[in-house]
Amino acid sequence: MTVRDLIAVSTGNMWRMKFRAMLTMTGVLIAIAAFVSMISFGAGNQQYIEDQFNKLGLFSTLQVYPKEREKENSNEPDTVVFPPLDKAALERFTAIPGVNLVYPYDAFSVKVQYGDSLVDSKGQALPTAATRTKLFSVLEAGTGFESDSSKQAIISSELMKELGFDTARSAIGKRIVVSVRVSTIDSGLAHILVDKGETLLDRLKKIHFDSLFYSKYRGKVIRAEANEVARRFVNGFLNARKTVSDTLTICGVREHVRAGRLRIEPVIIPFETAALFSTSGLGESPTEIFSALTSGKLFSTPEDAGEKTFSRVTIDFDPKVPYTAIRDSVEKLGFRTFSFAAEFEEIQRAFLYFDLALGAIGLIALITASLGIVNTMVMSVNERKREIGVLKSLGADESEIRWLFLVEAGVIGVLGTSAGIAAGWGITRIVSAIAQHYMEQEGIPPIDLFALPLWLISIAMAVGVGVSLLAGFYPAARAARVDPVAALRNE
Amino acid sequence: MYLRSINLCRHYKRGTYIVKALDDVSAEAHRGEFLSIVGSSGSGKTTLLNLLAGLDTPTSGVVEFNGASLTGMSRRERSAYRAHKVGMVFQSFNLISHYTALQNVETALLFNDTSPKQRKMLAASMLEQLGLADRLTHRPADLSGGEQQRVALARAIVKKPEILFADEPTGNLDFENTSQIISLLKSLNSDGLTIVLVTHNLEMANTHSHRIIKMRWGKISEEDDMHSHEGTKQ
Ligand SMILES: Nc1ncnc2c1ncn2[C@@H]1O[C@H](COP(=O)(O)OP(=O)(O)O)[C@@H](O)[C@H]1O
Ligand SMILES: [Mg+2]
Repeated sequence: MTVRDLIAVSTGNMWRMKFRAMLTMTGVLIAIAAFVSMISFGAGNQQYIEDQFNKLGLFSTLQVYPKEREKENSNEPDTVVFPPLDKAALERFTAIPGVNLVYPYDAFSVKVQYGDSLVDSKGQALPTAATRTKLFSVLEAGTGFESDSSKQAIISSELMKELGFDTARSAIGKRIVVSVRVSTIDSGLAHILVDKGETLLDRLKKIHFDSLFYSKYRGKVIRAEANEVARRFVNGFLNARKTVSDTLTICGVREHVRAGRLRIEPVIIPFETAALFSTSGLGESPTEIFSALTSGKLFSTPEDAGEKTFSRVTIDFDPKVPYTAIRDSVEKLGFRTFSFAAEFEEIQRAFLYFDLALGAIGLIALITASLGIVNTMVMSVNERKREIGVLKSLGADESEIRWLFLVEAGVIGVLGTSAGIAAGWGITRIVSAIAQHYMEQEGIPPIDLFALPLWLISIAMAVGVGVSLLAGFYPAARAARVDPVAALRNE
Repeated sequence: MYLRSINLCRHYKRGTYIVKALDDVSAEAHRGEFLSIVGSSGSGKTTLLNLLAGLDTPTSGVVEFNGASLTGMSRRERSAYRAHKVGMVFQSFNLISHYTALQNVETALLFNDTSPKQRKMLAASMLEQLGLADRLTHRPADLSGGEQQRVALARAIVKKPEILFADEPTGNLDFENTSQIISLLKSLNSDGLTIVLVTHNLEMANTHSHRIIKMRWGKISEEDDMHSHEGTKQ
């Protein structure tokens, strides 16, 4: 008997018992539909995260942070000094093979003005090369910077709306005024000389010069004046900040993307243009002043910018280089890292358990369906004993009889599973459409929560057909063992 | 020797006692012969026939076909023997009820490597030869007993077997259909087909066969060679 004959005879029998075969298949269909739609949910989420990561090129980036001493149970002796995340460190990262680009995260508060709108926001400096990496090149409109010193800015789509633009396209080429308030040493020094209209000379006049010969009075005056100078400096430094403004042209509007732990500021300004803002002093944060004070850098000139340290540095590397290689090199230099590739591996592991749990539920349904197959087929074997006897008398071998019934189980499996996959897909489309409708109403960009990747189809097919065949084994063996002599005996 | 059994036993265990359906039977059939096995009901005729046809396996003893032992064959080889060499006809026709006459006959060609196209052609022409040309698409329920048995006969001989085993083929038929089937068997035999006919009708056996084996209680009670008596039988 050829395979074609087997299939023809088996399907012929099923066709004769259409209703019964359909009921049996429906069991498989429901189980597989449940299996597929449930795992499709896990797969969809996984796919979404992977797509986002890929879109932003996150798999080939590494975030570097300076190491911090752990407060408690630190094994390192206090003498261990962690390397600062400064320009020298950046150069060392650039030298690592496979690294394309290294740029720091350097943020500051800005005011952005366009027409009548004035918006408080945050800005960050970025080298032109970085705007060409995937992470910054997902633009709704426009392009990256022309050069590191061009008077341009890339803004977020949210900021774009706050500034009163309707579409990203209409914002491109518009000029905005970006202001940064900086505390300067100059303003601090100036306040030593004049504070609230009182000049240093006025104060000097108040000093009783003849009394200076008395050491007690002298000490008091010196202390008072020193205190006053310090007070005036700090007051001047903190309160009389200088505002540095510049007019920049919007060259790009960044799409809204969620990049997990990665912060991207609403205003992105070319590296050297941004430097112009900060040459005049330190940033907004008071801690910056104190850290500058304690590190003895308060009066350092802008030329000493090499001394500047960063809270975070992004490394963009060749996607062909495994992230572990870059990570290990950076960590060997004494820094802390975060990689999305590592995080994705963890997410995948979590999803595997999630999928397994969902799959187990589907499998239980499938086992129930398979009992239906066993039941129907055993019944069918019992009804067809005489027919089996006839086939044997005509020369059918036990193995051929077994195959006849296995093929029947297989056909139930293939048809039931195919229909089940289609039905499962249909369910996910409906649920997805409803979910996306609600997302839209909530103002969330609609995402497809489900996916039907090829691996899921393959697994569903293998499991569905596999379980059906397994269910067919016992009835098939029973059919093969039918005693033809007994089956053909006159009633 | 063409087909023979040597000390053939087929015992059935029924609880504590043993039913000796066949007990130490040594018999033979010659090539081209029309052999009849007669005996009353329950004497072991069907049991012997099934063993000779390779459909059953003996408790002990041997069945030989062309010098090869059926009992020594693998299960698969025995299936091939049935598929290629043996045709069988039963008292209760044993047609597959949901198949048409044509499909029933075609089924016999599923197991002897006949191509699907040939199957249909051979089956149709065999049915036509047996006068059933206008019954090809009828199902057994729509055929008379005689027609059903002719379909069954077509199914048995369509694969051109060497031996035809017929187990009381006329047991369920009226006089007219009986003589029709018997004359068909006789003409097949004269074309060279070896026929082993089981019947409890001694007169029919006497009239048509070359040789008779009489059975009683699972044993051969008497062998009767018609040629030696009268020499007129064909
Ligand atoms: N499966 C079986 N179990 C027990 N006894 C059986 C079985 N098959 C046949 N027999 C017995 O064997 C004997 C011979 O049966 P069978 O060959 O069918 O007789 P016949 O065909 O001559 O009427 C009978 O007594 C019958 O009851
Ligand atoms: Mg009988």
